[in-house]
Amino acid sequence: MKILLVDDEVELVSAMAERLQLRGYDADWTDSGDDALVMARTCSYDLAVLDIRMPKISGLELKRRLFELCPSMKFIFLSGQGSESDFKEGCAGGVCYLIKPIRIEDLVARIEEDATHGGDQ
Amino acid sequence: MTPQDSRQESREDLRFFGTVSASVSHELKNVLAVINEAAGLLEDLALMAGRGTPLDPERLARAATTILGQVRRGDTIVRAMNGFAHLPDEPEDATHAGTDLAAILNLAASLFTRMADMRQVSLRLGDCAPAMSQANPFDLIRLLHSAMLAAFGTMGRGDTLTVSLAPASEGTRLVLSPSGAPLALPDDPGFNALAARLDTVAALDDTGSLVLAIRR
Repeated sequence: MKILLVDDEVELVSAMAERLQLRGYDADWTDSGDDALVMARTCSYDLAVLDIRMPKISGLELKRRLFELCPSMKFIFLSGQGSESDFKEGCAGGVCYLIKPIRIEDLVARIEEDATHGGDQ
Repeated sequence: MTPQDSRQESREDLRFFGTVSASVSHELKNVLAVINEAAGLLEDLALMAGRGTPLDPERLARAATTILGQVRRGDTIVRAMNGFAHLPDEPEDATHAGTDLAAILNLAASLFTRMADMRQVSLRLGDCAPAMSQANPFDLIRLLHSAMLAAFGTMGRGDTLTVSLAPASEGTRLVLSPSGAPLALPDDPGFNALAARLDTVAALDDTGSLVLAIRR
């Protein structure tokens, strides 16, 4: 599975990508929504992990544009706001996102779930 | 001021305090998230070393540097929030010892930089001549926040807002200078009420900068 991670915190997104690589995933990262759109233009990514709150292009807007480019792409959102109960509420409402700081095991579980059943589109 | 006006003003103060607290807590969340990933990476590398994979000292050093940098960033944020939280301690009456305007400007820059970042503009401190004022510091930083928000709303992506202080014949001039198109006067009753309370006159100069003349 090829994964694209996008977050404006460079040190966060680069470390997260490295941790996924150590777990056997093919993970690229960028801190810019514009770069993400360029990187995804050949639709080589199966899944994108997007921070919701970023300057320039928000995670939700980026998801819309990536989905236009690559309709088969799956998405997982990260948010710095909210709590565990917000996350559960969001999932119950159909918009699944992980609250930062995340546990890598939770991200991997979401990735595997999306790989098996398909995630938010 | 009627009791109703007073209650409304208290609510506005609380709302502003909440806005700043929310922004600061969001930034602290980011700091914790970066530390979490860097520490997690160290843990991953330690586990791998336990299974026989050689440790790469450069990778360890990079993760440690990230953690140290984020601790410094977090400390700066907390110190700014602490300074902000103590602003309402200043008395409103004549016992008020005076407000260090350069310190208030520095605090505003620390607190509102992320707000600028999210709007894709930069906030920069310009020349800050030492100046004291009798203005209430909490009201003053609220006025600055309101002025900066109005300025960010008229600025283009990538522009810089430089905030500086200059002595004036009567009081001090606090100047917000955009790198691009001229600013507009804030069109907000809350801003106007605060400016009146602080005996401050807002005007645009011929370079398109917003000048706040603090007269006391």
